[in-house]
Amino acid sequence: MKKRYTLSFLGVCLGMLFVVSCDRELPINMSYSHYQYASLDPNGGSWSPIILNAADQIEIPEPADAGSAEYQAELADLKDAMSGLSSQQRTAIDYWTNNPSIRWMEIAMELVAKYNLIPGPNPDGTYTLPSPANPSGPPPFPFAHPAYSCRAFAYMTVAQFDALIAAWHYKFQYERPAPSQVDPSIEAAYGDNSLPSYPSGAAVVTAVSRDILTALFPLEKDYLASRAEEHLSSLLWAGEAVQSDVDAGEFLGSEVAKLALARAAGDGMNKAQVDKPVSDSIRDSAIQRYGWSWENQEIPKRPVGLAPFYGKVQMWNVPDVELTRPGPPPAVGSAEYEADVEILIAHQNNMTEEKRRIANYWQDGLGTYTPPGHWNTIAFEYIVKNKMNPLRTVRTLAYLNMAMQDAGISCWDAKYYYHYPRPIQMIPSFKTIAGTPNFPSYTSGHSTFSAAAAEVLSHIFPEEGEIFRQWAEEAAISRVYGGIHWTFDSEVGLEQGRDVASYTLAVMESDGSE
Amino acid sequence: MNNHTRLLLVGVCLIAGSGLLQAQTPTDAVMMKQRESCLAIMYDQGSFDEYWEGTNLRTNATIATVRRTTILPMIAIGIMDNLNLIVSTPYVRTKSDEPNGGKFQGAKGFQDLGLVLKYRFLNKEMEGGKLALVGAVGYSTPMTNYLSDYLPYSLGFGAPEVSGRAIVQYEWNNGFYARGSFAYLWRGETEAERDYYYNNGSFYTAWMDVPNATNFQVVAGKWFFDHAFHVEALYNATQCLSGDDIRAYNAAQPTNKVGVAQVGVNAQYFFPNIKGFGVLAYYSQCVSGRNMGKFTNIGAGLTYQFKI
Repeated sequence: MKKRYTLSFLGVCLGMLFVVSCDRELPINMSYSHYQYASLDPNGGSWSPIILNAADQIEIPEPADAGSAEYQAELADLKDAMSGLSSQQRTAIDYWTNNPSIRWMEIAMELVAKYNLIPGPNPDGTYTLPSPANPSGPPPFPFAHPAYSCRAFAYMTVAQFDALIAAWHYKFQYERPAPSQVDPSIEAAYGDNSLPSYPSGAAVVTAVSRDILTALFPLEKDYLASRAEEHLSSLLWAGEAVQSDVDAGEFLGSEVAKLALARAAGDGMNKAQVDKPVSDSIRDSAIQRYGWSWENQEIPKRPVGLAPFYGKVQMWNVPDVELTRPGPPPAVGSAEYEADVEILIAHQNNMTEEKRRIANYWQDGLGTYTPPGHWNTIAFEYIVKNKMNPLRTVRTLAYLNMAMQDAGISCWDAKYYYHYPRPIQMIPSFKTIAGTPNFPSYTSGHSTFSAAAAEVLSHIFPEEGEIFRQWAEEAAISRVYGGIHWTFDSEVGLEQGRDVASYTLAVMESDGSE
Repeated sequence: MNNHTRLLLVGVCLIAGSGLLQAQTPTDAVMMKQRESCLAIMYDQGSFDEYWEGTNLRTNATIATVRRTTILPMIAIGIMDNLNLIVSTPYVRTKSDEPNGGKFQGAKGFQDLGLVLKYRFLNKEMEGGKLALVGAVGYSTPMTNYLSDYLPYSLGFGAPEVSGRAIVQYEWNNGFYARGSFAYLWRGETEAERDYYYNNGSFYTAWMDVPNATNFQVVAGKWFFDHAFHVEALYNATQCLSGDDIRAYNAAQPTNKVGVAQVGVNAQYFFPNIKGFGVLAYYSQCVSGRNMGKFTNIGAGLTYQFKI
């Protein structure tokens, strides 16, 4: 009798184990495989670059002819590299795919998430800002907040775009066939896309990404070098390119990265974080102009907001930031303002699971890839769905990220021009479910980033209807549900983002690709 | 009870879970006789103003002092003399003291339904005392759609848990007793409301792996007044077996590798003149930890034993 119960008890134990023993692999990157490109864009070399003056601005050596002994020797080396691949090497081939810009953007977003940590106070209540002169810190450099991240994404994708325009120019100038076309015994892992192979576009993307990210995340130099080395090696393992294709691509990518980084050095980002006297004078101008000012509410109080002069950073496609500056927000104490106070209190007191879900889904806060990162992941999905080739991929990403950085710059201009207080500053004992950021309220960054992103994506993927704009509106209202923005911050932010994107689209429509 | 470790993960050294209810917890050796039941209602107040970020003990004025109140109704049912079922439904409320720099809304609601089956394998009278060997398996799962990814205010870790526990107790004839227990806690995944998070690298999913853990407990105590009153001292340690550390000045998340050791005292009194009623009280303090609030907990409760 007793034994029977003992056995049933053990049976129950085993049964319950099945309930939670379903551990699975959680995805650590976007799931996609290599694919056949929808088009090759053979005239891609004639598209307008962003930073380069012309596609042939950077010269690369003329490749050896496919029949030459030099090339045949390279082909023999390639076959050697492709024989006896380890499972690790095969995993690398599958991972990088034939559209590796997405993988490099994932690496960029991972670094953003890793470095998107706001420095805490020192024991004496002061704050130390991250410094590129002392990247190890503490605190480590950079603090990859949304304004930093959208700039990083923009430089990386713009440089990729320019470098691939140059690569396309040379590919179709020299028309060196892919190794698998020269030697049918070579089985290219990604299939045959009939794309001329010199210089290697993947190597271009690697070099650009490695060099730009190393400059922006200096502590990650070794990590990035090892990722790049694996990627470059995988091009041989995959039978995609011979060594001279890779070398020319790497050279071209590095040269374009240098030009992009030269622009970055002079774009005003290094002056975006101001000292306390300047910060106070910006606040005092707002008080003089409007009678209100934003004040940080943290304990201990942060003496300076985040990047007050980010609004002065050089824009990509807007000639002057003031062209996109919205009108002023409702005056504190006005009827419109009081109505918004009521709306925010009503949301606070009637938080539903749906509002909470929206607030969290679009929060993309500290420790994440930020809202611009989120919009890049949305873009990846549609890039792969539409089987874009690498050039069209980086064109999409470059315009997306330029629009988002311009939106960020315009938003920051408004934030510090109007210096509008946050809800927690104005509404007594108000509580939020999202973290209130360290900068003024009007306009909402999420709203401007998202509206600009949605306009670019709607233009590139018109068959997707209004979905991107609907998401932008959801992202905008998410900040109101989170309790950290007024409704007019979000509504005007959406208009501002669309306004900024109109400049981006004007450039985009005339770049020769449409 | 296994709620215990769940509360720990979100930042409670809740001794309520770990042995104070002499009449009915998963970690003790006491059994209800067949057709007997014990109903308990517990009130627990936990708070911390320091927490371990990784292993570094720190303060953070963004959250200031975090308070966590738990009301814990439980029932233990004697299915057989050697087989008991324990059911619990904790209600939790969290918030920060004013002033704080974050101005975050707290959370409140029912946490997880806990079910534990306890089976006594051995209950042997010996010359100097009595030896008991007990096994317990538990299952718990969220009762409501609370957000686990909202630390330090989340109600729980938001994932199913299965636990297996072995308990050994020896009680001397003079009323002293000693007890030890060891448990393994298998946790599932919790669903966040975002589809990306960083856990020593990117994760493109809303699902977060809540680390499995072990729990180890030793108790020494004594009965007085013909088993009407007892006091005991307790050491309790829970350790996650994987997970990441809270990053500098960043919020905790359910994937964190939580560890905690706590010491406490429990006391319980059964009224000789009021049939079936008892009261209990306890105090506990976290003494070491990792990715965890340095909680102090104080609690009290009422128990009522009755025949079904």
